[in-house]
Amino acid sequence: MTVDALPPASIDLDAVDLSDRDWWAGPPARRYATFARLREERPFAFYAEPEIPMLPSGPGYWAVTRYADVEAISSQPAVFCSGRGAVSIQDIPADLNEFYGSLISMDDPRHAKIRRIVSKTFTPRMLERTVDSVRAVVDDVLARARQTAAAQGGHVDVVADLAAPVPLRVICDMMGIPEEHRAMVLAHSTVILSGGDPELIEDQEQQLTVFLQAGMELAALMEALAAERLERPREDLTTALVTTDVDGERLSHQEIASFFILLLVAGNETTRNAISQGVLALAEHPEQRARWAGDPGLDRTAVEEVVRWASPVTWMRRTATRDGEVNGHRFAEGDKFLLLYGSANRDPAVFRDPEVFDLGRDPNPHVGFGARGPHFCLGAHLARREIAVTFRALLDQLPDLEVTAEPDRLHSSFVNGIKRLPARLTGVR
Amino acid sequence: MRITVDRELCIGSGACEALLPDVFEVGDDGVVTVLRPEVDPDVADEVRDAVAQCPTGALALASEGDGPAG
Ligand code: HEM
Ligand code: SF4
Repeated sequence: MTVDALPPASIDLDAVDLSDRDWWAGPPARRYATFARLREERPFAFYAEPEIPMLPSGPGYWAVTRYADVEAISSQPAVFCSGRGAVSIQDIPADLNEFYGSLISMDDPRHAKIRRIVSKTFTPRMLERTVDSVRAVVDDVLARARQTAAAQGGHVDVVADLAAPVPLRVICDMMGIPEEHRAMVLAHSTVILSGGDPELIEDQEQQLTVFLQAGMELAALMEALAAERLERPREDLTTALVTTDVDGERLSHQEIASFFILLLVAGNETTRNAISQGVLALAEHPEQRARWAGDPGLDRTAVEEVVRWASPVTWMRRTATRDGEVNGHRFAEGDKFLLLYGSANRDPAVFRDPEVFDLGRDPNPHVGFGARGPHFCLGAHLARREIAVTFRALLDQLPDLEVTAEPDRLHSSFVNGIKRLPARLTGVR
Repeated sequence: MRITVDRELCIGSGACEALLPDVFEVGDDGVVTVLRPEVDPDVADEVRDAVAQCPTGALALASEGDGPAG
């Protein structure tokens, strides 16, 4: 399989609608050629909002495609806030926003307070302790994938058999979620981050209801778990969260439930897609695969390049709190901005040969985990570790893994997702 | 040179700690503590990287003469 870059000149910018979910499931070459044109000609391009049944449609949004503009907006949280919604284009009623968004859709001072309560559980030092458990999870997932392959004539699905189980099990282990609830957790978090993909939410009229239902069930599970840990503390994240306080303030069980939903969705889909997009990229660039397989010293830069290349989170939203100007672009209070990380990560103003997948790229100041600012990904250290351990194990233990067909892409603008990626373990007959 | 930290800005991301665990540590209050504020010349480049990479701009370098305390 090869990837052909499309000449940006071949794109008709007026025919592009970033609110069209199906456009995002189209060929990545078209997406990146379009971004290149937008960066050149319309660095702040205006689009009407996608329609979602049961939600009022707002005034539209600016799609921000240049690295410098993404950085400028992200680093001024007082002017460009997250509190009016960071993960949806439409305004969502405030209470719902808080429930689903937790930290990610909060502003200071509340944001800083909650972030500090949770940040210490995710520092490099704390995560040092989880390395062995991540490794154990990955080894087990790979062993199961081999069994699955053996039972299916060598066939596996990179997403379902490799990429999805790793982050799910890691985060469930960290939180102490019992085995019997994990399938439910996976199903609901997939729905919440589906971006409304029709395959995942069959009845489009009921999108919002299905979405809410999924959240409620996750919340109920987490509230019960939080109450249990308060009575019988254990060595897990849930216990740390129910017992930690900052300035004498503790998280309520409702806040803990919201935060868990955020961790589940933010920690699962993102890492899953970094892994599946990474496997696909290695299949498309066999020389890079051989290079990484032969050189464990490459892990650090390779992981960053996989995240830059995949840019699993396509955008986060910000909303202007006042009128103003940013890098020459005038805006009004209430204007919405989508920070397109996947475009910023291919901006030639910052990355030399941005269309080249180079596992040794250094420096690599990508914004895959968010650009500068207080919302910078809480799970970045954990995600890096999961990705590094997974690829090292894949390269060592499943060297015969071969992608056999085109990926089935998620119809969503929010997550650069792959739903299925058929592959074979050729060593299995 | 000394490392200074703005405790209001720090979100405890641990990006600095990942680079230099001997110099930075996110403490129990979720904010970074600079374990060795005097910059060791051996790791001066890494310290500059950490300052530059802090997502919230909470870290800064002050030369000896700066500030009221000297
Ligand atoms: C490759 C994997 C990942 C990617 C690409 C990613 C990407 C991002 C991005 C783009 C943001 C938003 C930054 C902003 O709004 O400025 C973010 C925030 C966040 N991420 Fe990640 N993430 C990943 C893995 C994880 C993991 C494993 C976890 C947790 C277990 C996690 C938890 C969070 C949380 C809680 C936030 C909100 C932080 C805040 O608002 O203060 N992420 N992530
Ligand atoms: S990198 Fe910045 S925000 Fe993160 S812990 Fe260090 S000082 Fe705080």
